[in-house]
Parts: sequence; C-alpha cells; structure tokens
Amino acid sequence: MKGKRKREEMEKIIRAEDEWEPIGHTPMPHVTDLRNWDRRLLETYKPFYAPFCDLCCLCTYGKCDLTGTNRGACGIDISAQQGRIVTLACSMGMSAHAGHAAHIIDYLIEKHGEDYPIDLGDQVNVECPNIRTVLGLKPKNLRDLKTAVQYAAEQLVHIVSSTHTGQEGDAVDYESKALHISMLDHVCMEAADVAQIIGFKFPTSVADTPIVDMGWGSVDRSKPVILVVGHNPASSSEIIDYLRTKGLEDKVEIAGICCTALETTRYSDKAKVIGPLSRQLFFIRAGIADVIVADEQCIRTDLTDEASKVGSVVIASSDKACRGLEEVSKRPTDEVIKEMVDKGKHVLILDHEKAAEVAVEAVLKIAPKRKKEKPIDEKKAKELAQACVACGSCTQVCPNLLPVGPAIQKVAKGDFEDFKMVFENCIGCGKCEEACPQDVPIFKMMQAVASWDTWKCRVGRGPVMDTEIRKVGAPIVLGTIPGVLAFVGCSNFPNEIDEIAEMVDEFARRKYIVVLTGCSAMVIGMRKDKDGKTLYEKYPGDFEAGGVVNIGSCVANAHITGAAMKIANIFANLPLRANYEVIADYVLNRVGAVGVAWGAMSQKAASIATGCNRLGIPVVLGPHSAKYRRLYLSRKEEDDWTVMDGRKKELVDTEEPSPEHLAIVAESKERAMVTIAKLCIRKNDTQPGRQIKLNHYIDLYKKFFGTLPDDLHHFVRTERDIPMFFKKEVKQFLEEKGWKPKPVLSLPTLIGTYESEVPVEATIR
Amino acid sequence: MPHPQHLVNILTGVKGAMEMKDATPLAKIIKKAERPLLVIGPRALEMEIEGRPFVEYLVDIARAANIPICATAHTKKRLLELGITPESTYDVIEIVNSLKDAEWKGVKGEGCHDFVLFGGIRTDLGNQALSTLKHFAPHLKTMTLCKYYYPNANFSLPNYKKEEEWKALLEGLIAGLK
Repeated sequence: MKGKRKREEMEKIIRAEDEWEPIGHTPMPHVTDLRNWDRRLLETYKPFYAPFCDLCCLCTYGKCDLTGTNRGACGIDISAQQGRIVTLACSMGMSAHAGHAAHIIDYLIEKHGEDYPIDLGDQVNVECPNIRTVLGLKPKNLRDLKTAVQYAAEQLVHIVSSTHTGQEGDAVDYESKALHISMLDHVCMEAADVAQIIGFKFPTSVADTPIVDMGWGSVDRSKPVILVVGHNPASSSEIIDYLRTKGLEDKVEIAGICCTALETTRYSDKAKVIGPLSRQLFFIRAGIADVIVADEQCIRTDLTDEASKVGSVVIASSDKACRGLEEVSKRPTDEVIKEMVDKGKHVLILDHEKAAEVAVEAVLKIAPKRKKEKPIDEKKAKELAQACVACGSCTQVCPNLLPVGPAIQKVAKGDFEDFKMVFENCIGCGKCEEACPQDVPIFKMMQAVASWDTWKCRVGRGPVMDTEIRKVGAPIVLGTIPGVLAFVGCSNFPNEIDEIAEMVDEFARRKYIVVLTGCSAMVIGMRKDKDGKTLYEKYPGDFEAGGVVNIGSCVANAHITGAAMKIANIFANLPLRANYEVIADYVLNRVGAVGVAWGAMSQKAASIATGCNRLGIPVVLGPHSAKYRRLYLSRKEEDDWTVMDGRKKELVDTEEPSPEHLAIVAESKERAMVTIAKLCIRKNDTQPGRQIKLNHYIDLYKKFFGTLPDDLHHFVRTERDIPMFFKKEVKQFLEEKGWKPKPVLSLPTLIGTYESEVPVEATIR
Repeated sequence: MPHPQHLVNILTGVKGAMEMKDATPLAKIIKKAERPLLVIGPRALEMEIEGRPFVEYLVDIARAANIPICATAHTKKRLLELGITPESTYDVIEIVNSLKDAEWKGVKGEGCHDFVLFGGIRTDLGNQALSTLKHFAPHLKTMTLCKYYYPNANFSLPNYKKEEEWKALLEGLIAGLK
C-alpha cells in the first residue's frame, strides 16, 4: 500500500527531517519495492530446485502430485511450490529472530526505559548498518530498535499471507518474497544483538575479547551445574546476576549449549561453552547438569523427557516453548523450589528474575542429592554393545548417513575406532537409539570415545569496528586481501566436526579474513594443533588479513552483512540511508565476501543465507543442504555477464562469471574450499588483487584436484591477472583454450541494466 | 516400491525408481542410449567391494561402453592417478544444472546427454540431484550404480546387504557392455 498518508507515516518513523544522509529510493521498503533488483539478480543466478517432496499437502484439495509438469488442484506447479516452501522456511527463520528481538528489547525496556541510548563504544559509529540501509532510520535508542522490528513484523504478515492457497503462483516472485523477508531477518538480528550489547554491556569496540573454557570436560562436576540452552540471554544473565549478588559465582557452574552459551560468555567469562547443538543430547544424557534452563530456538522438544531420565530438572523460560509445563511465575518461590527438589518437577517461569532465583536455589539443593554417574568407559561400552543383533535399523535412520550399526558391532569386539568416527560425525539427534530394538544405549556409549579435554573459545565481540573497516576496506575492494569468509550456522555437519576448523585454518593461513558465528564459532575451538593451541589462540581476533574473529551468536550474523555495508559506506563513501539497491550492487560487484554454512540445519540458517544473497554475498552450503530445495546458480558459459560500466555508462560484456553462484551446495570440504576461493573473485578486482585471488584458487585446485582449474580462462581478464608463480603453465593453458583478453572495469554495476529509479550516478562517489 | 537404505531419502511422491536386480536389461538400456554420461562422486573413492575401490568398477563401466565421465567434488585427482582423464569436472549440482537444459551441448560438445549414470554421490545429495532431473529434465533418464536404492532415479540398483551380489551385478554389467 502506498499513498500520501503512508509516506507521512514512514517519514515520521525514520525522522526524515534528520539530515545525516540523503534519503535513498527505498525507505522502509514494502514487499515489492525491491522486486526489480531481485528479478535482475535471479536473471543471472536462477533458482535451482531439488524438490524434497513431490506432493503438496497444505490444503484439503490435496494431496496433489506435482511431479514434472503436473499442477496442483489450485494450479500451482512444482517450481512455484518450491519457492513457496522456501518462502515459508525463510519466514519461519526470520520470525524466530524477530520474536527474539521483540522479546529482548521489551525486556530491556522494562529494565532501562525506552530512551536507553545505543552506544557501541568509541570504535563503532555506524551502529546499525542494516537498519540504516533498509529502513533509512538512524536508531538512537531501544525505542528505535523496537520500531525497526515492528516494521519487519508487519512485512512478515504480507509475506506469509502470500503463501496461502490461491495467492502467489510464480516461482521467481516467491523467491523475491523469500529475499525480502530474509533481508528483514538481518534487520531483526541486528536489532536483537545491538539491544543485547547495550542492555547487558556485552563486549563492543574491542577485538581481544576473553578466551573461555569449552567442552563437557571443562565443567567441574563436583559443583552444582546449571545448563542454559537456546539463544536468548535474558534468563542466563539474570542467573549470573543472582550468583554475583549472593557471592556464589565460584560455587555454581554455568555452562551453555548453542547460542545461549555464546551470549552467556559475553556476560561472564566464568561461564563455559559445552559445545554446539550437536552435543545437546549427548551432554543432557551424560547427566552432568542438575538444572537446565531452556529459552528459545534449537532446543530439543523432548528436553523434559530426556532430563527426567537422568534426574535433571528443567525450567522453561520462553513463551515460544512452554513444553506443556505448569506456569509457576506467580507461585511462591519456596514452594516451586520444593516441588522441583522433592518431585523432580519441571516448570515454566516467564519472569526471568524469578527463573534465575529458582534455578540457583534449586540447583544448590538438587546437586547434593543427585548421584552423578561416572562416564561410561570402554569396558562398559563393550559390554553394552553385546546386545546388538546387527539389524541395521540404527544405520537406516541416521540423518547423517553414518554406519552406526557396523561401528557398534566393532565395539562389541573391542575395536572403538569406527565408533569414535561416528561420534565425531554425529549430529546428535538420537534417532539411532530410538530405532534400536535391543535398546542399546548408543549415546551413553559415546561417552567412552568422547574426548574429555578442555578446549577454548574466544568470546563473541559483536560488530566489526569502523576503524577496522577503514583499515581493510581498500584491500578488500581492490582484492589484495583475497576475501572475507563467514563461517556461520548450525552443527549439522556432513562429516567430522573438525572440517570447519580445517577450512578456517587453511584460509586464515592464506591471509583471508575469517569471521564466525553460532555453532561454527564454537567448533573451531575444538581442534588443537601440535602445540596444544586452538585456532583462537593461534590467530588474532582482529578483522584483518589472517584474523579469526568470533562475531557472536546467530543474531550476530547481522554484523557480517553490516560489515559489508560499512565497507560501501566508510570506504566507498556511499550513503546507506534507504539505499539498499546501491549498497547490494556494490557488495555483489566489489566486496569479495563469501558465507559458508557447512552444517546448516534450521529455517533460520535459510533466512540468514538468503538475506546474504539479496545483499550480493554468495553462500556455500554443505551437501545435505540440497534438502533446502533451492539454490541460486549461474551457468558460466551460457549466461550473459554484461554489466554497466558506471563511469562510461556503457553496457559491457565482461565474459566473466564473477561471482559465479549465489547459493551453492559443495559435495566435499575439498570442493568447498576451491569453490570458496573462486567465489571471492569480483569484477572490480585490481590486477594485483586478481593475481592474489587466482593464486589461491589455482593452488587449492591443484592441491585437491591435481591440475589447473578447468574454468581458469573465464577468470583471467588480461595477462597481468596471471599469478607470477603459475605464469608459464597458465599461459600455455590459456593458449590451448583459445583465450582472448577481456575488458577490465573499474566500476562494474548492475544498476542501469534493469528498470530502477536508482540512477547510475548513484553508484559513484 | 522399496524403501531407500537411508530413510531420510524416503519418497514423498508417486513416481519412484524401477529397481534393477539383473545386469542384462541394464546393459541393454545403456547400450540404447545415444549420448550417455557417467557422473562419479567422491564416495566412489571411499567405498570398496571386497577390497577393490568402487571407482575402479565405474571406470571399467565407462571404458566398456565408451561413456564420458564427469568427475564431481575432488574425484578428479584420483581418476588421473588411475590413468583416466575425465571429460569434465563439475560439482554434482553444477552438472545437474546443465543436464536439465535440453539445449546444453554436453561434456563433449555434441549435445545434451540422454542417459546419465551416477555412482559415488552421498545418498541424500544424490537423491536430491536426481529429484531435479526427475522433475525438470524429461529429455533424459537416470540410473544409479551404488549399492543403495535411490527413489528419484529412473532405474536404481536395490539395497544390497551382501557385497558379493553388488559385485556380481557390476561385473555382469561390465561384461554385458563389452
């Protein structure tokens, strides 16, 4: 809906009279305002669909078989149905972050008031690049963050409504909607994390954040243990406050799983990170936690059942995950604690201060009563494995395709090697144990092969500092820093948990900038080199060549897209304000950033990645992620790579497929590394920069594939692009391919190649 | 219709692969193809059949019927070590993206392939790639050579519990193609 009143309302929200930057063409964009940008993007990077389900069962017309050219009773075809499901998935992901943001902002407003100012320290002036770029608002306080989330929530209603039967019917239009809601996901993540940073005084404007202990082996089991699980730090920070007030901080262990762990260590460096989501069930079944405080997202829905099995007690603390529990928020605290201690009762407490008090007081009483079992040793595991009848049910149900059954069979014979590999590759769902007709306790047996070592994780540091952007903006855009790589997302890793660390080590050593969030940020701390150092101890935490930076939890992903926006703003001096197309175009054509979601599992990962895609950041996914149903791929030889030369205002066929894809699945870590290096190539690279990027691409390709890259000729524009080290063989290769020099542009842009209100001049500063 | 080995790949639809337990008709189908292609993935390097790598059986099939090879992931290096230069190197999603275009010139520049064999792709990714071809590539047929049933192929081997049965089929196929 557009009109005078709507415009007036929008201008009031973004305080149009403030003159910090001119207002761009798309303030607070509605569903279709960036549709032409999306369609242009998807003209090159066409949706590639791999249907996970051939049917539609969303309404009572169905089930409808959509195989091939079949249509549903409503008229929808298989492509549009995939776009529809992707739109729903991205909406779910975005809504999880929007819900998190809305909750935490309201919680902090209750504590500090609406006018509580945004202050991210003396190194961060561009506080919310996503909100600035999308809404056109320069947020000043918690109220403004709430406003941003409210706008995003209104857009969500429109997007979800488009998935109803008889609404949208075109695949590309569905993709545009998925891109829109995913862009807004980054707005909501940014609002959530900035609120947390200011409200909880998390680290900001600093790179050298503390390094904390990690791993189940780091927990002192002689103390009462509170486990916090999920993503929202409201309860865990209240717990720490309560412990501090009572002088108990050294007497109770606080440990976290998934993003709440990262958030909690940002609040107290005495808190411990157990590990990623994939270790949730393993840790709960180990029975180490006395009290488990669950908040929201990625928490096992059978948490209370699992906790009951080992005598742990659960406090659910989020309205999004009440788990059928009695709400005791208003009941007397002593009464609640007594029921938890005496009866092992799990409860729902929606008052975080009360939840904290109950958690601490209960854990002090429950822990001495519990007899914590020692971890199972190899002897016991071998004994338990004797019950296996080799039926193969465990192997059949493993979502990660692991040979669980044969490994158990070997354990029965005293050989633990394969079972160790199964544990290292395990995504932690527990389906193997559920399927076992002999009730072999597979998860408990894993205790015999799990390392009980203490690892290290650097505390998440929030936004990349403006001062850092000033320093590295030029080398990134010119290509002399070969790329910014963001390893993000869940722990549904297709192979060993070690693979992320291996990739990060490879690229940090090659002087890429590596940033990490969420479960990926944790797992790189689980690998030590021969000197016993983790990657966080080996590489600096600065946003510079060769830095390995833990940005923070899932919601901190917005700081990664934010960093790309800041490069356009701080280095290239482009205004952010409501200027999304120009900024996204700049990132696509000039910022060599690549996302890697190797273990992506959730709908949140879908929206985070899709939000990166709209901003022009390609994403590489693990092989199982083909189950997301949709990728964005080009075909380098067949597609048109014409862009506008912004300076000459002429269309130029660059003949160069860069970046080649926007969302692609890689089949193995070797392939992923080669793909990552290639996707960092941008049309704007200077010749020295291109030489560096090609040097890494060629070197990795030769290392893993044994030859020069088959497609190398597509990425050499002139002979000066050829890396010195490979000059002779590359020249020979180019000659065999019949290569001819290609145009080199200093200002490549898509603006001007499609219908848009944005003039080409807007890309030049 | 049988279940796949890994239940995560269970078919939610009505069009599933024909299970092929006999090498003779398989060899006939392959021989009828005008422009076949063999896509070899990295699991072919890891899987062994009674001590011999699966990839070597695949290479024998390619040689027996003169089928061009597309090496996916990092498979190329091992193939070169075996003395085989694959006609093309793509990742599996990229080759499928090209295969769904009936106008594509193919790995030898002679036109799009009409029959595509797959071996050594992990089952979840493989089944998804086959889903793309099932829905969007009516101009070609697909077949899998791994020891698991892939519901989204046109023709698939069954789930073999005994390696010798799988070996016998592959050897029968190689002999039938010569």
